[in-house]
Amino acid sequence: MILALPFIVAIGLAALVIYPMLSAGDEASASLPVDVTPAADLKRRRMVVYENLRDLDFEYQAKKIAPKDYESLRETYKAEAARLMVASQELDHGTAEDRFIEREVAARRAALRSKVEKQYVCGKCGFENPVPVKFCGECGSPLSKGNDK
Amino acid sequence: MNQFGSVGLIAALAFAAYGVVAGVVGGKFRSLKITRSAERAALSFLVMITLSVIALEYLIYTNDFHNAYVATHSNRDLSVYYKFAVMWGGQEGSLLFWTWLLSIYVALVVLLNRRKNRQLMPYAIAFAMGVGVFFSALTFFVANPFQGLSLSSASGMAPFFPPDGNGLSPSLQYPSMLIHPVMLYLGLVGMTIPFAFGMSALATRQLGDNWIRVTRRWMMVPWMFLGAGILLGGHWAYNVLGWGGYWAWDPVENASLMPWLAGTAFLHSVMIQEKRGMLKVWNVSLVTLTFFLAVVGDFLTRTGIVQSVHAFAQSNIGPYFALFLGIVAVVSISLILLRLDFLKSENRLDSVTSRESGFLFNNWILLALVFAVLWGTVFPIISKAVESRTVTVGPPFFDKVAVPMGLMLLLLTGVGPLLAWRKTSFESLKRNFAIPLAIAGAIGIVLLLAGVRSLYSWMSLFLGAFVAACVLGEFYKGARTRQRSVGEGFFPALYNLSARNTRRYGGYVVHLGIVLIFVGFAGLAFKVHAKSVMEPGDLMQAGDYLFRCDTMNAGDTPNYTYVDAALAVVKDGKAFAEVKPERRFYKASQQPISHVAIHRTLASDVYVVLAGRDPGTGKAVIEVFINPLVVWVWIGGIVMVLGTLIALVPSRVEREMAQMRQAQAEALEERNAL
Repeated sequence: MILALPFIVAIGLAALVIYPMLSAGDEASASLPVDVTPAADLKRRRMVVYENLRDLDFEYQAKKIAPKDYESLRETYKAEAARLMVASQELDHGTAEDRFIEREVAARRAALRSKVEKQYVCGKCGFENPVPVKFCGECGSPLSKGNDK
Repeated sequence: MNQFGSVGLIAALAFAAYGVVAGVVGGKFRSLKITRSAERAALSFLVMITLSVIALEYLIYTNDFHNAYVATHSNRDLSVYYKFAVMWGGQEGSLLFWTWLLSIYVALVVLLNRRKNRQLMPYAIAFAMGVGVFFSALTFFVANPFQGLSLSSASGMAPFFPPDGNGLSPSLQYPSMLIHPVMLYLGLVGMTIPFAFGMSALATRQLGDNWIRVTRRWMMVPWMFLGAGILLGGHWAYNVLGWGGYWAWDPVENASLMPWLAGTAFLHSVMIQEKRGMLKVWNVSLVTLTFFLAVVGDFLTRTGIVQSVHAFAQSNIGPYFALFLGIVAVVSISLILLRLDFLKSENRLDSVTSRESGFLFNNWILLALVFAVLWGTVFPIISKAVESRTVTVGPPFFDKVAVPMGLMLLLLTGVGPLLAWRKTSFESLKRNFAIPLAIAGAIGIVLLLAGVRSLYSWMSLFLGAFVAACVLGEFYKGARTRQRSVGEGFFPALYNLSARNTRRYGGYVVHLGIVLIFVGFAGLAFKVHAKSVMEPGDLMQAGDYLFRCDTMNAGDTPNYTYVDAALAVVKDGKAFAEVKPERRFYKASQQPISHVAIHRTLASDVYVVLAGRDPGTGKAVIEVFINPLVVWVWIGGIVMVLGTLIALVPSRVEREMAQMRQAQAEALEERNAL
């Protein structure tokens, strides 16, 4: 009789183990949340640097560190904190590279637009054709490369 | 009940195997439901192993000698407390016990990480359950404690029910034996968890310092247990074995020391990764090494491959252990090599005189010590294989190698914390070390004048004074600074200082404990030993002490018979103490054992052994040791445990960071829900 106990317990537990696999709904397809997002990682690393700075100040006050060492270490930590801060901000508004690419794209678009405008203004009637055309949409006279002014 | 236990074991094995598969699949596909299932399998593993443990305890307490294990390791008249120790008194039971502790650790990891470290968890479960598969399979198939006792007869195997069992080994019938093996096992088994997280970090490529921070406490707890277990083992050897010492470089002692040393190295080197993003490969390798050595420890202890005072029976589980160790080595080394690209250091070492390099030196020496001890421990096996004769390297080898290394480590214990991160100029060094050096120098001179001529003892005490001055100076300077800036009283400042950074100041307390232990070691050089055959009225001199045998008695209890002798100890002409060493003869196991009488003071122990009776005269053979400063080893151990407990308390800064993480996790969950 008592021998049945571990069997029953094992079967019950097996059901509990399998149960999450059978469940349907939102849970079923959910994926594991990320432990550390890049933003959180940067922020935490910055906190570590701040903590280092606080420690440094404290050790300096406790006269453990010579003034010269203190100054140079403080500068390095501050620079590190600043770097991490910039990195965090860039992450918020996209990275530096992303911004460079966006700027380039915007500039080229602007350049293209102005070129288009120049190229398709009719030399005869002065109409600004909105799309690339061979003949003016207003007066019908041909547009050539020579007549853009 | 035997089947009951076996069913529990095989079901546990099934859950463990399922946990491995579900963990890997859940981690691979980052699936919440599969991970949940793996977590439940890990909890079920605990439940089933617990049923087996209950079954074994039931068999032990009901004196069911149908069971081979109970018949071999217990007897009717064994006291209630020691019956509990039968669980780990033999190989089969201790493997079950090991597996049970593992299942408890894993269940705790699952319960404490229900909402945290979701990416790390599935693989961590998979690795921990992989270890669980090995141990539960070994317990079930090879060393099953649930086997019936049977006699072979003409008609085959017939069940056999002896009237009484063989009894628990008498040397284990001692109070600290109730906790020493438990502590040791909690330490060795616990190393599985940091290993599992380290491997999981490799598998998930999350090799920043997240896994380090997750693992820190999971390393600190078993490290504390292991350290306490080692010292309790020494305490037991000292009190029971009757040779007057507590450490003999016995293979089994070494086996527990090696993972402790590697774990110590890890606890220090992780700080460099946290603070500076360096030593990533080193840390993940160290955590693997620590786990590996913990299993090697179990392997050496349990297989009887190396001769040892622990004298466990030779057994057939050796090849399985070798196979498991091989798998662990191959898997972990290949994972580390596969992920080398993710393990690049974020910074470089700025200067040799920096905290980082202090930690690095500490790591090198600790590892050198590990390998020296390992070499000395396995040398008999190697020599047997190469030269076909067993050459044992004795304590002189270990002392020659380990003592200088130990002293260097002691020095670093004081120097390291006073070095600044990144770099320390000569001027800063001067500020920090002038006072401790002056104090240690003064004490060193006093010691020389007092006649301390043993180099190692002098150095232990000199360096001990130096380190103590450094550490106490840290507390003093910190509290004073706080007092000035915050305007608190000295003691509130001391408290708040420690509460703000529990890990650092707890670590300092651990360092103080180490100093005290070294003070105890220093006493070894001044040991006095004397031996004499005595009867009532006889006298014996040992050092400054005079011993007079007053009476001798013999007696009988259900479990053992005994003889004892009462001796009066006289020092400087005055009565100093009464001691009563005893020698017992256990009936069930037919083995004698001495119960040592120890009179302890802070200065020295008077250690008296009734070694037996002289066969010719019938007089008592009395052995006396005067062991100076031994008590400090135990006090140091207690201080170390206290320090570790302080370091385990979450510091204020940590709590703030944890809150931040919690808020982030909740925000993420909300976003996922939308």
